[in-house]
This record gives sequence, structure tokens and C-alpha cells, in this order.
Amino acid sequence: MAEKIGITTTIPVEIVLAAGFTPVDLNNIFITDSDPPALVRVAEQRGYPGNTCCWVKGMYGAVKKNPYINKIIAVTQGDCTNTLAMVETLQHNGMKIFPFAYPFDKDMTFLSDQMQKLAGALGTTIEAAEGKRQELINLRKKLQTLDRLTWEENVITGQENHYYLVSSSDFNQDPEKFEKEVDDFFSEIKERAPLKKNIRLGFAGVPPVLSDLYRFIEEKGARVVFNEVQRQFAMNPECDGLLGQYLSYTYPYDIKGRIEDIKREVKKRGVQGVIHYVQSFCHHQIEDIILRDSLDVPVLTLEGDKPGAMDARTRLRIESFIEML
Amino acid sequence: MPDKKVSNYLKYAGLDIGSRATKFVVFDGEKVVHWASELTGYDPVSLSRKLMDGWLFDRIIATGYGRHLATPSIAPRYITEIKALVLGARFFYPECTAVIDIGGQDCKVIKINGKNGIPEFEMNDRCAAGSGKFLEVMAHTLGFSLQNFGREALQSPERLKITSTCTVFAESEVISLISKGIDRKSIAYAVHRSIADRMNVMIEKLNVSGRAVFTGGVARNDCMAALLRESLPELEVPDNPEIIGAVGAALEALKQ
Repeated sequence: MAEKIGITTTIPVEIVLAAGFTPVDLNNIFITDSDPPALVRVAEQRGYPGNTCCWVKGMYGAVKKNPYINKIIAVTQGDCTNTLAMVETLQHNGMKIFPFAYPFDKDMTFLSDQMQKLAGALGTTIEAAEGKRQELINLRKKLQTLDRLTWEENVITGQENHYYLVSSSDFNQDPEKFEKEVDDFFSEIKERAPLKKNIRLGFAGVPPVLSDLYRFIEEKGARVVFNEVQRQFAMNPECDGLLGQYLSYTYPYDIKGRIEDIKREVKKRGVQGVIHYVQSFCHHQIEDIILRDSLDVPVLTLEGDKPGAMDARTRLRIESFIEML
Repeated sequence: MPDKKVSNYLKYAGLDIGSRATKFVVFDGEKVVHWASELTGYDPVSLSRKLMDGWLFDRIIATGYGRHLATPSIAPRYITEIKALVLGARFFYPECTAVIDIGGQDCKVIKINGKNGIPEFEMNDRCAAGSGKFLEVMAHTLGFSLQNFGREALQSPERLKITSTCTVFAESEVISLISKGIDRKSIAYAVHRSIADRMNVMIEKLNVSGRAVFTGGVARNDCMAALLRESLPELEVPDNPEIIGAVGAALEALKQ
């Protein structure tokens, strides 16, 4: 069985697979754990401040709970500095860290150098990673279809869309098995009638730490037909090579590219309002200013803190937003 | 006032189960013919039934934090307090631009014509700072009655500021100011100023101007209204600001 390697966010996973490792998205093992709040407490008991993002604390707790992870690829630029401090606390206790940086200005040479460096550190080549990219194209195309079925044919719920797209950061640690899961899902929804919800919402921002968000939105008569960052995780398979694929990925660069992507998809998918999800104590809360200014549709900024069900105020915010739309 | 037991014309009711107080209004299509309010306590459903006891009406809509509790046993439907406040405020002030609501446990700013003509709103974060509860705690700490708190604060000889935004920390800060021998009216003013500053952040974020309506129990506080008028000079305070949400719910009942 291939050795597992943790990743703190989406990185060129093809390099990891080409090197013979199994990628493990630490965010995914945190949020799908049987008790995510307990993992946050592990970090707090170690001394992590209360006013630190729960995703970061949860990743720390997830690593502690899964001792098979002794190597981590950490995104040191293009994500948050709290993640950097988190991996430093792990490194302090012997964890092997491979840094990976996305250039703020999408500098092609910089990104290419980073990819080369990561490939070298893991004992593989960019050519081998390109081969893995080719192998994954079919799966990525299926995820594209899944996304299209969500907004165009309206047969997939926002929660289902979220689950499959967000899982593509590490393909649930097994691309083959994951592809089979996607195929089975397609068979399951073959006969499904289009979902009848009047209000079409977009979801922008990092994946939510809240467990009941999508279900609650649907209960209130609306539906998420666009999951911005999750869709980005699935990548556009029609790009020019590995470098092109990770340059067209919007999340780790400046917010301009993200806004252009959101505006285009909002128009194409007939989105009537956007929920901008921000995590408490996250730098993306500041970017909310730009996002609100830039979008032409109403925006609800929703803040999540601890993992679990939403509180009454968050529910009221969503319900009022849907009611107004 | 019409006999509450006899309904010879259509009447509509609104029930606003708030976090601190529950309000019930009966509306005859033109005016409020009855209203009642009591602290919500631990059993809002029984309290609602008590407030409604003996009143006949044709339709009722619930709103407020307890809206789900009231549906469907008391009211067949509910609306959120954001919508209820907009409906209620526009009934009394048809030209109003915004609603500034400070209730028992939270505060909200609703801009009526936001992006694409759809109302936009901001709510305070998950703590009691900037709410009626905060004022209640501070009034108690300073030995004022809640009713006179605002009036006393307006007589403050100094324009002090407190820096804490958390109710618990602010209370410690207030206690330390008391121990320094500072006039309690000045501290009262600082407490009001801290809430007004929080409200102003939300008011500015939504770019609210013009004739806004101040609702919720805290709107009865003269100092709060005076401080909010510094940024919104045309701010209106209805006669019974705490029932605006319940009136909005009754108006929704009328529409159906």
C-alpha cells in the first residue's frame, strides 16, 4: 500500500500520485471524522488560540489522530499564514514538511519552478506527473459533467455537488475507487426528475465547516447550483498541460481571477444570489469587501466558526436572504 | 377599542417571539387595535397563548427567534423578523430607507432598497454586545433602572469611551472606571456610545442614509436615539418601537 502524505489544501496532486504516494487532504479527514469538534479541542489543548480558524486547528487534530501521516505538503503561499504556523508546530515535533508556494501574480516560471522542486523532493518528474494528469482527465471530465447536471439539468443537489467536487482535492485517497463512486452516482441519478426549487444560489468561498448548510437551504426552498471553490478543486481538464491546469485554478492567486470566474458562472447558471462563506478569523473575511463590491447579484456573507450544525442567527441570515430573493 | 370577544370585521394578528420579549398585536386592516408584550421566559408557547387569550382574529403569522416554535400549533405560517420589520416599518413610514433594530439579544440594520432593489441586512456577531441585554447588564452594574438609563446617560458631564466590545469584558472595564471614581452618568454615556459605534459600522457598511426607522425595545432609550441621529439625522422612532415586527407579521397575515 502506498505511503500517505498529507496536503493542507489543493496542490498539484498528479505529482504526489506520480511519486507513488497517496495524497490525504487533511481538511477532508478532519471534517469527515466522527467527532470534528474533538479534533479542534486537541489543537486548543496544545495551545492553539481560541481565535484561530477551526480548519487549521482541525487539520492539526486530524494529524495527531492519524499517526500514519508523517509527511505533509504545506502550501506556504496562496493560502493562509496560520496554516504555515500549524505545520511549523508539527515540524517542531518531527513531521517532514514539503513546502509548496503559489505565486500571487500567477507567475508562470515561479509556479513551474515550484512544481519541479516538489517533484524532485518526492522523487519523481514533471513528465511522470503529466502522465498521471492524462490518466485523471477522464475522471475530471466526469466531475465537469456532474457540475453541469447540477445547474443545467437540475438533477443534482448542492450538497451532492459539494461532496463530489470537494473530494477531488485528493480523490478520497483513491482515484480509481472515487471514479467508480462517481459512476455509481451517475447510475443512481439516471431516472431522477429535475429538482423543483425556485431560488438558485451560488456558494462562494472556502468549503463550509457547517454540517447542515445545504440541507437547510433546500428546506427553505432554494438550491445551490454553483460551488465556487469546490469546482476549482476539480480543475479544468481541458487546460494546456499540468502547468496550464494549475494556472487556471483560481483559488490561490489574487482575488481578481476568482471574481471573474464567479461573475461568469453566476451569469451562465442563472444564480440569483451568492452566499459568500467566510471562516471566523480567516483572511478571506477581508476579501469579502471586494467580492461584495464586484458582484452584480445580492450577496449574503455568512460566517462559520466551529464545526457542526448552524446556530439560530446563521439560520436566520440564510432564511431572510432566501425570503428576500 | 372594539370588544375583543366579538369579531364583526376581519382582524389579523402578528406574534413576535423575540429572545427577550414576546409581542402580540391585533390589526384591523388599518390600525393596531390591541397589543401586548411580556418577557419571553422559558416557555414561549404558553406565554404566546396567554397573550392571545380571548382575542379573535381571522389570520395570524408568527415571527422572531421563536417563530418555529409557534408554527404550526399557534400560527400556520411564519416570516423572518427581517421581513417583518421591513413590512412594519414601511406601514408607519412608507418612505423609510432603512430599519435600525436593537432587540434583546442582537441588533440589525436593514437597508430597504439594496442591490437589485432587494433589502440588504447586517446583523451583529454572535455575542450580546450591542444589544438590549448589554444595556440591561450595564444599567444594573451602574445602579440605574433600565427605563432611566438613557436619560441619565444624556446628562453625562464627560464624553468617555470604553474600548471592550465583549459584554463580559466591558463589564470589567465599567467596574474599573467606577473604582476610579468616574461619574456613573459618564460611564453610562460610554456604554451607549460603544453600542452606537457598533451600529454605525453596520450603517456605513450598507451605506444607509435618509429616513431610517429605529425599532426594538432599545429604541425607547433616548440616549441611543440621540447618538444614532448623529449619523442618521432623520431617524424616526415609532410610538411603540418594540411591536414593529409583530405589526409586520400581522400585515403579512392581511396580505394572504
